[in-house]
Amino acid sequence: MTLYEKKKFKNFDEMLTSYTEPVLVDFYAVWCGPCQLMSSELSALGSRLSGSLKVAKVDTDAYPQLGDKYKIEGLPTCVLFKDGKEVKRLVG
Amino acid sequence: MTLLRAEIKDEEHEKKLEKALKSMTGFTNSYLKKTSTVLCSDPTIPSVVIKGLAEHKVSLGAPLCPCRFYDDKEKEAKDGYWNCPCVPMRERKECHCMLFLEEDNSFAGTEQNIEFETVKKITGEMS
Repeated sequence: MTLYEKKKFKNFDEMLTSYTEPVLVDFYAVWCGPCQLMSSELSALGSRLSGSLKVAKVDTDAYPQLGDKYKIEGLPTCVLFKDGKEVKRLVG
Repeated sequence: MTLLRAEIKDEEHEKKLEKALKSMTGFTNSYLKKTSTVLCSDPTIPSVVIKGLAEHKVSLGAPLCPCRFYDDKEKEAKDGYWNCPCVPMRERKECHCMLFLEEDNSFAGTEQNIEFETVKKITGEMS
């Protein structure tokens, strides 16, 4: 699910809590144009802030239960999680 | 026998997708001129959106906006609010897909036409 490596987790919550640093999750869809733009920017951000921020992305078509759980509407939506809890979101 | 049927079905699906991609490219080009909007300076963005619209046209029967998450895509496609051109676009020229941009938008290019072959090439490289 991360931008740099595909890692397997039992579930989304396990992914969130497996990192001590905050996790910025990019909720996207494959054929959403602005999501492509956001992805490139987040990739650069993740690189710059490596060690203090983890960046992950979730395909909302592949994981609609997550889109539903986090009440995603516009795409992309970026949600910042700390200790497994949402602290901030930005809707694109 | 089952494999052959699956291959024929795939081919039919690909033909439908190609036809829808052509149709949505044509629609985009007309609507740009109709609304005096322009394409994004990066052609990847509109190409991806046009592909998304085409995919939904084939799977749902309507070009549902590909830049939103829906609880029930079929219901939304029937409802129509988010079918392209969506209500926010029609009423306020707000296209959060960045497909139809006003000229003063910082991502705006100058073009009001994108070639079908460009859309096909860009999205083909992504599939």
